[in-house]
Amino acid sequence: MTSQYIALPKGVAEQTFDAAISSFRNVLGDAAVLTSAEQLAPYIKTMMPVPDANHMPSAALLATTVEQIQKIVAICNQHKVPIWTISTGKNLGYGSAAPAERGQVVLDLKRMNRILEVDKDLAYALVEPGVTYQQLYDYINEHKLGLWLSMPAPTAIAGPVGNTLDRGVGYTPYGEHFLFACGMEVVLANGEVLRTGMGSMPNSNTWQVFKWGYGPYLDGIFTQSNYGIVTKFGFWLMPAPPAFKPFVIQYQHEEDIVEIVETIRPLRINGIIPNAVVIAHALYEAPVIARRSDYVSGPGSISDEAVRKITKDHKLGIWNVYAALYGTQEQIDVNWQIVTQAFGRSGKAKILTEQEMGDDPAFNYRAKLMRGDMTLTEFSLYNWRGGGGSMWFAPVSQARGSETLKQMALTKQILAKYGLDYSGEFIVGMRDMHHIVDVLYDKTDPEQTKAAYQCFDELLTVFSAQGYGTYRVNTAFMDKVAETYGPVQRNVHKTLKHALDPNGILAPGKSGIR
Amino acid sequence: MKIIKLGQIVFGFIFTAILAISPAWSTPEETPHPGFAWQNGAEIYAKICAYCHEAQVGPPIRNRELPPAYIRAIVRNGKRAMPAFRSSEIDDESLVKLVDFISKKETEH
Ligand SMILES: Cc1cc2nc3c(=O)[nH]c(=O)nc-3n(C[C@H](O)[C@H](O)[C@H](O)COP(=O)(O)OP(=O)(O)OC[C@H]3O[C@@H](n4cnc5c(N)ncnc54)[C@H](O)[C@@H]3O)c2cc1C
Repeated sequence: MTSQYIALPKGVAEQTFDAAISSFRNVLGDAAVLTSAEQLAPYIKTMMPVPDANHMPSAALLATTVEQIQKIVAICNQHKVPIWTISTGKNLGYGSAAPAERGQVVLDLKRMNRILEVDKDLAYALVEPGVTYQQLYDYINEHKLGLWLSMPAPTAIAGPVGNTLDRGVGYTPYGEHFLFACGMEVVLANGEVLRTGMGSMPNSNTWQVFKWGYGPYLDGIFTQSNYGIVTKFGFWLMPAPPAFKPFVIQYQHEEDIVEIVETIRPLRINGIIPNAVVIAHALYEAPVIARRSDYVSGPGSISDEAVRKITKDHKLGIWNVYAALYGTQEQIDVNWQIVTQAFGRSGKAKILTEQEMGDDPAFNYRAKLMRGDMTLTEFSLYNWRGGGGSMWFAPVSQARGSETLKQMALTKQILAKYGLDYSGEFIVGMRDMHHIVDVLYDKTDPEQTKAAYQCFDELLTVFSAQGYGTYRVNTAFMDKVAETYGPVQRNVHKTLKHALDPNGILAPGKSGIR
Repeated sequence: MKIIKLGQIVFGFIFTAILAISPAWSTPEETPHPGFAWQNGAEIYAKICAYCHEAQVGPPIRNRELPPAYIRAIVRNGKRAMPAFRSSEIDDESLVKLVDFISKKETEH
């Protein structure tokens, strides 16, 4: 007999699953329990170089309240059915809305989307998981709150809860999102509801203003993890500054990254440049304005010569440093002088502002990201190769010039071996850099898909052997990355998992934790 | 081993309790006021589609008389790099309005 489900959770018999589904229907109503292939289609598409069948869900549940979620975890425990929680579900390039393992039930919280509070004076928000950045942006504008959001490049369609829980980044001074998280409500696997930090105390009004509470700080264990289901999330917003000055600094040689990083680090650590600066390679920017087919024919990665031609034709640097100054005009004037002096010293840098860049689409979308405006222009990346394949390779680097050059060269060399291009950038923290490389490939081409898989695997192997850890990874490689952090951390993760979720119902496999 | 078993019993008890008396678990401000809802097709287009399809990232899709079934299928399945959109993001009713907005000529609105 063929199954009425497109997939089943590992080790769960169809009869048992039937019973779970009918209990879910009792809690949520029929319309909020999706099981048909047509209903589940949007949960299946990923950008990873593995068969979509590997990550096919068995069902999706559209819950909207904490009580429903408590009842869902009870049913999951009873039938040992695993659930994979998503908030806005746009984890593109990291696994999208599909679960880590075939057959897991997606708990989709997109419809649990109330903005519970935005405090203008204390500049914080408390939201439910399904709130998108667009929704919050509109709310802030409508109510004239004068607050800015920090967002990842998929802005409008993604959301603060999912992004921060996966420890994502944005581009304003609040760009390291988890640093600005303050207070969570979490449904635990046993159905209890935990409010972290000050939220644990009845009648406290400091939940969204003081992060640490009392005793061990717990918020961290609910990020990149599977220890709970976050149902409310507090975070800080940036008061809109009176003035904002975005700029780009172009350099013409790959080795110049050493000078760039050495120049930027003190400016960043000292707060002269307050935002998450991006040092983008020409091939990260080119797709916004150029077509690969105009420069490359045939297989293999793009040549350095062709990249140089692109930079000439489209007035790009080999490196393009996007940053901004924020504050009063007087503060900006002082800091601008410091920045231009620092970058002007060697004579290699070309410093450009809104005045010179006018309507340049690459500059424009970067400027939008640095002031928390809506744009999806970065999706141009996918026009470079076509075919919709993408994995983010995201090793962490010291903010030290020699290290960034080494990581770039190593990445480029491994990508070239598999015929892939280096579409990379460094997102500058204070002392670290997220080295972000979009491993782009044509998913409709089986050979390229295979090459992309092997390439990514080799990138992880080689980087970890050199002591370079990855900060975040797609669901096909979570175990591999967990392994690179060594057995002790893995054991601690496992111990916590077994204590908090003994039946293993919450997102087994997330960050390699089961 | 005994300790583990005991833990499981306690665990099981909590679930039964939740199933039986769930309202008692509700958090104080859990008033069932509705969440976000789309107003019309134009709003969805402006706040999702237009960021790519009016920005030379994706191809233009308006005024091309694309068949409604085709638009629906692409929204739900995605296409190559275009992400798929779930019914939790664009509900079926709103999708009808969006499809109408995209497939009809501008003059017909
Ligand atoms: C072109 C492009 C550019 C991108 N740029 C960036 C960027 O600048 N910065 C960046 O960070 N990312 C970037 N991304 C990756 C990704 O799209 C974003 O990080 C996005 O914000 C993640 O999706 P989401 O916000 O919808 O989160 P979700 O998909 O909802 O959640 C992400 C993960 O968090 C966990 N999770 C979600 N909700 C819960 C919950 N309630 N309880 C417990 N766990 C939960 C799950 O493991 C889930 O898979 C980019 C992607 C693309 C395609």
